[in-house]
Amino acid sequence: MKADVNAHPAALSARQSQKVATRERVLAAARDLFDRLGYEDTTIREVARQAGVSVGSVFTTFTSKGEILSQVMQDRLDGLYTELDRVVPHLRGSTADRLRSMYAIHFDFEAPRMRLFLAHIATAYDWTLPATSRPYGRTPRLREIIRDCLVKGVEAGDVDPAVDVDAAVELLMGAYAWTYQRAVVDGADSKALTAAMDRQIGLICDGLRPR
Amino acid sequence: MKHVSPLEVAGETRVKVPTRRALAKQQTRAKVLAAARKLFSEQGYEGATIRDIAAAAGMSTGAVFANFSDKSDLFREIMSTDMAVLAEAMREAASKGRNVEDSLLKTFCAGYAFYKSQLPLARAAFSVSWAPEDGQVLRNMPPVQSMLDQIVEQHNLGVQRGELSQEAEIKLRTQMLFDAYLSNYPQAIFQGWSLDALQARSRDQIRIIMAGARRG
Repeated sequence: MKADVNAHPAALSARQSQKVATRERVLAAARDLFDRLGYEDTTIREVARQAGVSVGSVFTTFTSKGEILSQVMQDRLDGLYTELDRVVPHLRGSTADRLRSMYAIHFDFEAPRMRLFLAHIATAYDWTLPATSRPYGRTPRLREIIRDCLVKGVEAGDVDPAVDVDAAVELLMGAYAWTYQRAVVDGADSKALTAAMDRQIGLICDGLRPR
Repeated sequence: MKHVSPLEVAGETRVKVPTRRALAKQQTRAKVLAAARKLFSEQGYEGATIRDIAAAAGMSTGAVFANFSDKSDLFREIMSTDMAVLAEAMREAASKGRNVEDSLLKTFCAGYAFYKSQLPLARAAFSVSWAPEDGQVLRNMPPVQSMLDQIVEQHNLGVQRGELSQEAEIKLRTQMLFDAYLSNYPQAIFQGWSLDALQARSRDQIRIIMAGARRG
């Protein structure tokens, strides 16, 4: 009787750890394939083959390729945000300077995989994406970091306290995303991306200062 | 007997016969486009297949391909028709603006009002717009260029009227305004923002972008 009670959770956890292992293998294979072939040319079949699992078991763990990409990007961005959490408190200078440094770190991080980042933005509109996924635009972290920068600017006096901070955050979020779009089309590198964003940050911060 | 040249007769028949055929072709195209619009809205761009579109239009895939080269051709056709109408609506709305910022706001709001009733189609369009190649095709469509030109014109009018300084960075501002306009759509698509909320947000954003261009 007692053995029966214990057997059930043990069996469950074995199944669960199997599931976690499959998930990890799929993510590792997808990470590699996305980097080498790009998102569009990576098929679920190839992901399954490289992960050494069946196509069916990929789909028991993820609902779509878009969801796999969201998870891959999420894991990567966690690393970036840990880095930013460490660096941002030490940033000095005007609000524009602090935002520029923060974005430069982003661009250096993402520039080698610009097309993948665009795919990451595109998946936000994917019909098959489950609500739990966090594509670009649905991650709270980046917004929080930008918001903190602006609030600090209000305290320092170079951002007008009457300004709608959320409207400014969304302007920066949009500028960031569309700058990638143009960069991919123009074949721009991290330096060109940073320069394009720097001008936009300058213009936005000029609009935010007290008058 | 009045002389009728063979050329005129031929000319007459050439006009008559193809007209009927052209009409049928036009009706077929319209049916395919209506079905495609419905399926893109229900399934997204990726999810809608030519086969499903043909079935919904009550015709063969061959008949669809006789009129459109592929799915992206079909989607482009829908977008360019809609956006031509929208570009005109924007121009009309902007003409009622009291000043540069108000005209810009009315331009944006004309867009949000236009897509409010067809957000799923807008969602499909955004999904396409983020694909590197197809996105560029969408952005280069004449009606989109016309929207950008309108923003430039509004700046130029502002400079002429003395509202904006001569040194206003028009090119950069135009691009940023258009990006801001587009970036607010996800709030409508995913969070159900009302037109009023979109208008309030846009007003604040336009004010921020234009602040440095104002005179004095």
